[in-house]
This record gives sequence, C-alpha cells and structure tokens, in this order.
Amino acid sequence: MKELVTVQVGEFANYIGSHYWNFQDELLGMAEDPQGDPVYKTTSLDMDVLYRNGETSQGILTYCPRLISIGYKGSLGSLSCSGSLSPRLSNPESLEIVSWAGNVIQRTAELHEKNLFLQSLCGEESANRTNGADQESGLPQMQISDKDRIECLENGVQYWTDFSKVQYHPRSMYELHGLWTDCEKFDNYGIGEDTLSISLQSEEMNERLRFFIEECDCIQGIQFIVDDSGGFSAIAASFLEDIADDYSNTPVLLYSARSPASYTHGKSSKESVSRALHDAVSFSRLSSFCKLMIPLGLPSLSRSNLSSTLFVEDQKLFHCSAIYAASVHSVSIPFRMESQGVTAESAYISGATDVGGMVQMLTGHARQNMITILDLAMPFPSLTGENNQSILPTLCSLTPEIEENGYDLHSIESLIVHGALSGGRRISVSEAKQYVHTAYQNTILRPMFCHISAALCPLPIPLPFPSIFNDRVGRKGELSDTRLGEERRGSLEVDSVPMAARLRSSSAVKPLVERRLGSLRRYGLERGSLGAELLRSWGFGREEVEEMGESLAKMVMLLYSNTYASSQSDSD
Amino acid sequence: MSLRVLNPNAEVLNKSAALHMNINAAKGLQDVLKTNLGPKGTIKMLVGGAGDIKLTKDGNTLLKEMQIQNPTAVMIARTAVAQDDSSGDGTTSTVIFIGELMKQSERYIDEGMHPRVLVDGFDIAKRATLEFLENFKTHVVMGETPDKEILKMVGRTALRTKLYEGLADQLSDIVVNAIEGLVLDHGSRHPDTKRRAENCYILTCNVSLEYEKSEVNAGFFYSTAEQRETMVTAERRQVDEKVQQIIELKNKVCSDNESNFVVINQKGIDPPSLDLLARAGIIALRRAKRRNMERLVLACGGEAVNSVDNLTPDCLGWAGLVYEHVLGEEKYTFVENVKNPHSCTILIKGPNDHTIAQIKDAIRDGLRSIKNTLEDEAVVLGAGAFEVAARQHLINNVKKTVQGRAQVGIEAFADALLVVPKTLAENSGLDTQDVIISLKNEHENGNIVGLNHHTGEPIDPQMEGIFDNYSVKRQIINSVPVIASQLLLVDEVIRAGRNMRKPS
Repeated sequence: MKELVTVQVGEFANYIGSHYWNFQDELLGMAEDPQGDPVYKTTSLDMDVLYRNGETSQGILTYCPRLISIGYKGSLGSLSCSGSLSPRLSNPESLEIVSWAGNVIQRTAELHEKNLFLQSLCGEESANRTNGADQESGLPQMQISDKDRIECLENGVQYWTDFSKVQYHPRSMYELHGLWTDCEKFDNYGIGEDTLSISLQSEEMNERLRFFIEECDCIQGIQFIVDDSGGFSAIAASFLEDIADDYSNTPVLLYSARSPASYTHGKSSKESVSRALHDAVSFSRLSSFCKLMIPLGLPSLSRSNLSSTLFVEDQKLFHCSAIYAASVHSVSIPFRMESQGVTAESAYISGATDVGGMVQMLTGHARQNMITILDLAMPFPSLTGENNQSILPTLCSLTPEIEENGYDLHSIESLIVHGALSGGRRISVSEAKQYVHTAYQNTILRPMFCHISAALCPLPIPLPFPSIFNDRVGRKGELSDTRLGEERRGSLEVDSVPMAARLRSSSAVKPLVERRLGSLRRYGLERGSLGAELLRSWGFGREEVEEMGESLAKMVMLLYSNTYASSQSDSD
Repeated sequence: MSLRVLNPNAEVLNKSAALHMNINAAKGLQDVLKTNLGPKGTIKMLVGGAGDIKLTKDGNTLLKEMQIQNPTAVMIARTAVAQDDSSGDGTTSTVIFIGELMKQSERYIDEGMHPRVLVDGFDIAKRATLEFLENFKTHVVMGETPDKEILKMVGRTALRTKLYEGLADQLSDIVVNAIEGLVLDHGSRHPDTKRRAENCYILTCNVSLEYEKSEVNAGFFYSTAEQRETMVTAERRQVDEKVQQIIELKNKVCSDNESNFVVINQKGIDPPSLDLLARAGIIALRRAKRRNMERLVLACGGEAVNSVDNLTPDCLGWAGLVYEHVLGEEKYTFVENVKNPHSCTILIKGPNDHTIAQIKDAIRDGLRSIKNTLEDEAVVLGAGAFEVAARQHLINNVKKTVQGRAQVGIEAFADALLVVPKTLAENSGLDTQDVIISLKNEHENGNIVGLNHHTGEPIDPQMEGIFDNYSVKRQIINSVPVIASQLLLVDEVIRAGRNMRKPS
C-alpha cells in the first residue's frame, strides 16, 4: 500500500478539501450501508491510501484523513482546532487551573453556533452512541428534514467546516497566528511572508507533517492544494520548500487553486501591479518546489462549458469548490487502485498508477513541462458503441488562461473515467476504456501519448453537496433530453454521477506562463518599473527576481520547443 | 493628495483625531495586557468560538490569540511580538510601556505641546537610558563553567511570572541542569521489536531504506509482467543490501550478546527492511526529526552517516538504556544514560492539553532567559529596580543638560518608565502611589531597591535573586520610543473598510 498525505493551505483550498473529504466519507459510508448501491461494496479503491487508523487518548479507535489543513485563526467556524474527535468542554468555568495560584480572567469569544446540518450530524452521532435510548438529546434531529439541511447550506455557508461531515484528527487543523486579517487584506505574497516570520509557525507545520509521514510505510506522494489568491501562496511555498528538503524522494502534486472572487481586481494601477506581481512570484515559487503543478480556478464557472449541465453560482465558494473537489477526487482515483499485478485485469479498476508514475508520465518527456492542465466532464456523457466523437470535447478546462483551441502534437494526456454509463446503464471498466479509446482513435487532433484509467465506482453525491445540477441530470447522473422537474438538483435528486477528468501536459498552457513572465519583466525587472520597490518590500532582491525571470523564460522556451520525444507514442 | 485617489470611500481623519485614535489604541492594548505582568498577575483563560480552551499568562500568546482590528493596535502588536521572537520575553512590558508613553504624551499634547518636541525628548532620553543600562547591569562571567546560581535565579524570575511558585522553582532546577537523555516522539514500527534494551549502540543515519522507484510501479513502462518483476527484484535487492550492511555492523559490535543495536534514521524504512532489522534484533526508528538527529549525535556520540557504505564502529554512538513508552496512538522512545549529556528533552505531563501548552510556553521562556544570560554575560536587577533608578537618573542628571522644551519629552519618558513597578503593585493589589513614593525615596537615598509584591515594601532584588535579562530590557528601550514617536507624528489616517469605525 502506498500512502498519500494531503495538505490544504488557505481558505479556498480548505473549501475544496472539505468537499473532497465528504466524497471519501460518503464512499466509506456507502460501502457499509446494507441498502446501498452494490457498486460501492467492492470498488478496489483502497481508502487506507488517504486515511489512517488511530486511537484517541480515551482508547476509541479512529479512522481519519491523513491531512494537514492550514488556515487563519478563526476560519474553522464551529470546529475545534483540535479536530472533531476530542471531547468538547461543556463548562469552562468548572475547569481547575493547576499551574497558577493567582487570579484568573476568563475571556470567551462569541460561540460559533453549529448550523442545522452540523447539529443534525451531532444528533446522529449521539443517537448512535446511546443507541437511540436517550431521547433527550435525540429529539430535535427528528424534526429536521434533509431538505432543511440542504437549504441551510445553500443559504448560509460561512466557513468550510459548515458543510463538512468528516471527523478530523487532532493534528490536522493548524491555525496561523498573528494574521490579524480583519484590517489588512491578506491578498498578496508579501503579507504571507511577513506572517511566517512570526514565531515558530513553520516549525510546527513541519512537525505535524512529519507525524503523518512517519507512520506511512511507503509514502507515494503528497497532494497539496493551495489557495493561490493571496498570502497563503507564500506560506505554501515556504512549506513546500521544507518538504522538498526533508522528503526529497516524495513527489508533490500541487493544485494551485483560485476562487472566482480573486479575479475581481482593484481599480487602481497600484493594485493591479501588485496583483500581477503576486501571480508571477507565486507561480514561480510554487512551481519550483513541486513535481507537477495543476493551476485550477476559472474566473467564472457559470460561463464555462460546464454550465450546460451545472448551475454554479460563482460568488458562492461552497458551489465552485465542489466542482474542483470533484476533479481532484477523479485525479486521485488511479493513485489508490488496489494492486492487481500489471497484467491482471480487474472488473472494478484499470490503469493504476501512483503519483510518481503520473508525474513521470506527464513530465518525463523531452519537453519536461510540469505545468499541467486539468479538464473535467461532470457528469461524463453516456458512451455508445458508435465512434464517440462527441465525448472528448465535453471535457472542459478548469485551468485558466490557456489556449482554448490550440492543438499540440506533442501533448501527453492521462484520462480518468469512473462510473461511466451507456444508455443509462453502468458499463464495465473494459467497455468504458474501449469506448474512450475509440473516441481518441476517431479524433482528428490526437495527442502524442495517452494513458487511460478507469474505475467502476462513480462519484457519490453526499448530502452536503450543493444543488448545482440542472434539470437535465438524472438520478445516476445520466443526461436526459427532457427536463426533469426541479430546476436545481442536488443530493436528494442525484445519487451519483459518472466522471471524467484529464491531466494534459500541453503547450496550450503557454499563455498562462507567458503572462506571468511578462508581468515579472514589465513591473519587476525593467528599469524604473513600478513594482521593483514592492518586490523589495516582499523580501525579493533584484537578483532573486532575475532568477525567477530566467526560470520562467526557460519554461516558456521549453513549451515552444518541438523536439520530438524519443519515447514510444500511442496509448498503452 | 494622490493617496486619496486610492479608495474614494476611505475616510480621512485629520491630524488631531488621528493622534487621539493612536493614543486610545495604545492605551486600550495596555489595559488588556497589563494584568499579565509579574508574579501576581492574572492568568487568562481564553475560550474560543468552538469551545477551545487556551490558558496563558504570556503577553505574546495572548496577543496572537486576540482579534485585533485597530491598525494602530496591530502595529504595536507586531512590534511586541517581534520583541518576543528575538529575545524570548518582554511582550507585555513593550505594550504597557508604549501605552504609558502615549498616555504621558497625551497630557502634554492636550496642553498644546507639539508632538515633535516630545519626540525629540524621547530620543535624548532613550540614548541616556541605554547608557545608564550599560552601567547599571550586573556583569556575570559565564565562560567554561557558568555560574549556575545566577542562571537559576534568572530562570526562576521568568518562570515565576508564568507558573505558581512551587512549580516554577521545581522547573528552574530542571532548565538549568541538563538531563541525561533524549525523548523521541515516535517508536519502532515493527511488532517484534524489543521495547526495552540496555547497552545500546546507536546508529544515527540519513539513508533511505525504502524501495521507492516509482516508475517501476507505473505499468505502462513495461510490456511484460516478467520484465517488471525483474526490475522490482533488482530494486528491492539494492535496499536489502543497505539493510544487510547495517546488520553486519551490528553483528560485528554486538558479538557479546550483552549489547544492543538501535538505528535512528531520518529517512523512511519500509516494512520489509523493518522486518529484516527486527529479525536481526535491531531496534529501528524511521523519520526522526532533523533537530533530533543533531541532538542524538551530541548526546550519544558517533556521527550521523549519509550512506551505509564503509560503516565502521566509530560512527556509532552509545546509550545505556533505550525504551519505548506508548500512550494511545502516541509513542515515545527514551534514550537515556548517554555519553555526553549536553542535550536533553523535557517531558511535560499535565492533566490536559491546555495546561501542558501553558507549561511548555513557560519553560520556553525560562530557557530563553537562561540563553540570553549566557550570551549577554550580564543581568539587570528586577522587581522594578532598574526602572525606578533609570527614572531618577533621567530627572536628576539628564534633564538638566537639555535646553528648553525637549525637557518635557525626557520627563514624559522618565515617568513612563515607572509603569513597570506601578503595574506590579497594581496587580498585587497594593496602593500604587504609596509604593512609588517609597521606592523613589529609597533610590534618592542611594538604595537600589525593587518592589516586594507580597508586602509592598522595598526589597533588594540582589538579595532576593530577582534578575531580568539585559538584552530584553535593552531591546524594549530601543524599540518602544521608536514606535511611540511614529504614532505621535502621524499626520492623518486613511481608514477603509467596515472594521475601522470612529472610536466611540
């Protein structure tokens, strides 16, 4: 078994993570549910890759995500920073203070009330624990309908913890101190650098990571999600630098994610220069400490191709993050396929690879491009025995600022399809693979190399998933030609969806890299440029900025190079 | 003004309103923190929005837990936290000194004095106080055999402000005397490993004992299963060979059956390797902290090796006893009776997490105060003695050397220094006026005294063993007037955002 450790840094990353772990929790729950869909009973997807077995100090066995979540103080809402497992003190006044004999002042922050959804989760738990005998605590949850719970999330998610149904380990949540964000916007790389210099915060972060890595028998990699809209980029970069140092053989798969809100620039030129330089510096730093970088986050999902099946409200983090979480989930499927030996065919999975293998495949060719595009089809449309020509174009890029229609002869792709349907019927892994294969055969613009992974298990839709499916999406995620009642459909109307996600190493990513190089040159390097002073205040000397410029320029150059890769092409 | 174009909605405060906003913010922060000061201060129990509990008597911790919304307060907080980061203490003193300096200034400004004049006085007073500190400090010679008594007293002074006396005194012994051993916060990962071993050779290494070539696992690089199998076996063999080299060394040094062998590796060790090592009777720990690697070598001797080629017995360290202790899912490995007890771990036991966290913070402060003393080779008499003496020097000697109104700034600075003994008295429930008068009188008569927080009487800090860090004091005197001056010389404040409403 090869373990994955997950790191989430920053608000949007934690939103994505929250949905991501809800999917995993749902898979775990469905596997145990006697009435559940048999497709979840045997998935051949190994949860131990993402989860760890443990024990609380009271001796209760636990199964928690192997996760470190970093956010600023106060961003956990009603979740305790020591996670959901440690008992909550009901009455702090009764607490005896043994280390101090003098006076005591108690300062109590305003209590974050648990919302209806979280309350009903607690109710369920205590009901389970007392076996339903204790009606006193079990009473209120009886009246809460699923509809109410969903509604309360649609209307009022304030924190990423508001819709999380997962139990976290006491070492998973780390709150950054000394941000005092209320009066200063935490919106650029420099501010993040300042924060890290306070106290021993990075040491504590490293310590926690080590806790999770030490217990791994053979770690395959780290999946790292960073909110790239501001100061968290600097915190992530510094963390990644330590990781690259301490675990040099462990590949890091980095998702740098941006919420639609981060695209609303300030009007002044000063703000836009700061924004442009943040993007450039953050991109340069983050990419230098990981093996594969996947920029995520369109300015608007509601205006993307996904809007033909999804109804996303861009201003809601709760909505957008669900899409990105689904894509991260799909990408992580091949990493946890149970080992079958290479040639053994399984009815449930096919095309397993680990993080290292994925990185090697996408970046190991002549061009060595490590900036990868992520495309998603959600739900993945029905496959047929026909030529499936219309299938591949449904994949919509979640990576911003790329060439939409560019064709790259040398692109390398890894496509993951799971839970695929054909005419409303779930099809076998080998069928799905075959259909996707023909789709590739029949497309005119074929990539140089394509790896296909498939799994039988679709994406389960947990209760706290937002109601973002439109009225064409059916219960199993099949697309209907007629309208299906409810205009916005959520977890009550849709149980699961077939998914396809594709990682694409292609020169189509050129505009994204070039824009950052351009900003760095224009605002940071040119004589008398507007941002040189700003970069200095962020702690970057002229030489460092020049180095960043050089490495970005090299990246761009490689994307233009058309040297033919020596390795064999075509799919497996 | 070009700045105003920035945000048309921002509110611009004029000079006087801006100044008063700054003064109020400084005073506000002072009020929050001043009850922390000294051995009679008040401990804070912070209950977070999700019911988390934090216990602290440390200004630094308190500031970091606070939601600070006022930009001036944030600026002061940053300065104070930076003070703690560099010298390990003095956050509370910094904040209350800034607050007091602003309070003193307010009096004069309300009488029509220009802030510039005060600031000039601060500057003179600051330089004079630093000079005075140089003469006032007590030299202690450290060198090869440091004076443990002095160190213990400094440590105790710091600890008694954070923990009750009995516990503080117990810990001051501990922080001064190195304990012979280390505790690592992890254990071996193999069920058949010994949990306790005596006479242990310790191999400290940074060598990957994991089979980790990822390409091999990615099926598409191989056309046949046999091809893959061959590759896997070859890779595996390389790891096994490394393990074998360690086992050979073990067999060489542990031939007598009396001694044991422990491998502590900074990199990973996979289950097959753990298995081989366990079968050879070797205790193996993986993913040790980098910092612990350095400590291990310091404590046990030997050297940290980066490769298992050419291992010799000289690389090995030694410990009399190694044993594992399990608490729930937490494992600890104790490495005791070591060769060179230069390095140690302090294991804190407590009834709950927040008590442990508080004791840990306190010990950190105690250790920092001792480190500072070793580096400074000097200490400063505590219990407010320095502040009273420095004030007297400023009023009696320095003020006269200055012409005109800058004198006022010096006076304000001198009076602000008294905030330390005043607050100590206040926190002890004493009458501040009485205390200050009696302290001043003693100093006028040439007696360097501080405050006995039990009785309010003057005491000799030298006799009582109350010493503060020289570097902490120096840094406070250096940074506080700078910040206060910046806050006083503000021209206007541009406010934006909903959190910065007018002070009520």
